[in-house]
Amino acid sequence: MSETLCPRCSSTGAIEDYQGREDNIVVWTIYRCVTCCFSWRDSEPASTIGAGVRSADFAVDAGNLDRYPKILQQ
Amino acid sequence: MNDLANKARGISSLRDFLELLEGEGQAITWSERVLPEPDLRNVAVAASRDANGAPAILFDNIAGYPGKRTVVGVHGSWDNIALLLGRPKGTTIRELFFEIAGRWGDAEAQISYVPEGQAPVHECRVESGINLYDILPVYRINEYDGGFFMGKASVASRDPEDPDNFGKQNVGIYRLQVQGPDSFSLMTIPSHDMGRQIMAAERNGLPLKIAVMLGNHPGLAVFAATPIGYEESEYAYASAMMGAPIRLTKSGNGVDILADSEIVIEAEMQLGERVLEGPFGEFPGSYSGVRKAPIFKVTAVSHRRDPIFENIYIGRGWTEHDTLIGLHTSAPIYAQLRKDFPEVTAVNALYQHGLTGIISVKNRMAGFAKTVALRALSTPHGVMYLKNLIMVDADVDPFDLNQVMWALSTRTRADDIIVLPNMPAVPIDPSAVVPGKGHRLIIDATSYLRPDPIGEAHLVSPPTGPDIDALSKAIRLLQQGVAK
Repeated sequence: MSETLCPRCSSTGAIEDYQGREDNIVVWTIYRCVTCCFSWRDSEPASTIGAGVRSADFAVDAGNLDRYPKILQQ
Repeated sequence: MNDLANKARGISSLRDFLELLEGEGQAITWSERVLPEPDLRNVAVAASRDANGAPAILFDNIAGYPGKRTVVGVHGSWDNIALLLGRPKGTTIRELFFEIAGRWGDAEAQISYVPEGQAPVHECRVESGINLYDILPVYRINEYDGGFFMGKASVASRDPEDPDNFGKQNVGIYRLQVQGPDSFSLMTIPSHDMGRQIMAAERNGLPLKIAVMLGNHPGLAVFAATPIGYEESEYAYASAMMGAPIRLTKSGNGVDILADSEIVIEAEMQLGERVLEGPFGEFPGSYSGVRKAPIFKVTAVSHRRDPIFENIYIGRGWTEHDTLIGLHTSAPIYAQLRKDFPEVTAVNALYQHGLTGIISVKNRMAGFAKTVALRALSTPHGVMYLKNLIMVDADVDPFDLNQVMWALSTRTRADDIIVLPNMPAVPIDPSAVVPGKGHRLIIDATSYLRPDPIGEAHLVSPPTGPDIDALSKAIRLLQQGVAK
């Protein structure tokens, strides 16, 4: 399991999904959190991906995922 | 038929429309190198400040996405909508409304089928090793979105319980969040056709296969977002309204798709599975919450050579969302109301997908406008969206807010207001009591009529009509330095 920390729910284990390359040089990398499904690019501004900079209003509580409602229930 | 109208009827793809827009000064190419975030968002927001005249913007130099292209703002201004309808730049919103209302219906639809082997959308085909990031230059539309969204995808699907019925085939715009290289989630609500199909598939254990069309005929993009009846075909409406044939073909998974789309993603729903989706900056100008939404597995992708990924900026208005669907939200409400009440003269539901609507009506008797308002709430769109309704007389243009304010100021009494508590509401309305439930407001700003004991004051009657409209245009042209 990777040590990459999710900027939104602070879980570890994010997956590397894609690398943007130019002339075979990596320009940025896209990660995805397997706990809260947040995807991010490591070139994004700190307001979106910076720990401690990102607004806490948009944090996801990894310890209580049951609080998020399921849509289209029968 | 004039030249512009002929050009509009000749459009069969996004590329055709971009060429037409470019010729009219309404599409530009942004070749300066941009970062996916925040540059694409910033340019799109700056463009949408000009709701009347913003051009479509094609980006062809995005860091990390060499050779890939994305376009925003294709429907991002009233001038672009006018050109789509074959009308000149500068056509007023009111004129565009009546242009659309006059064409409303699907009686003249011309649907043609292109063999799959000849369809441009199938020029390139990926069936294994699928990675959406290889094809789509996605980016975060608003800074706290939960991921990378396809914000302007037209999703085609067949009714899982009646898969051979062409009319029940649905095409709708739903937000899609990329959930890894070959998966995405789809957000909808039970009242939308897609929500209905997902629930039917899960209830009966039936497969639900969909085709996600990106970069489409610009006429379909507006109809995919338009509330028409469940058994009516968006393709048929788009063709009839454009007055031109629509070319369809089959996706690899058996869904009818546009033959000239830039990209089509074929996918199958994972029955019963949900993943965290959102937030997403939505049309009320606020973020949706995080919810657990259905997930779809990509089974194949078709695309044209050098495809253009079309996306949208959506957030606090005005944005492309408002110009994309504003008039196509207003026109069906108008058509549906006029079936029962021919006294309705215009409907303006431009504001936040109709969260506020203004309806003008020839008031037959005191209180009549309130009756019409209640009928509006029971139209397919009104059921969930028409939250605030302002009713005005037929002598007030609902598209002219100065006139609407005049009616509010001079024709409204405090007891002419109706509040309907605890009604259905769009879950993403931030003013809802709880998501999905809220109050409705009707303001009757029509004049007093018998049997009301208080008569209308004697009105000043300034000159109105086509002559005055023509003079207004002449003034604007002179102001712009154009000869009359």
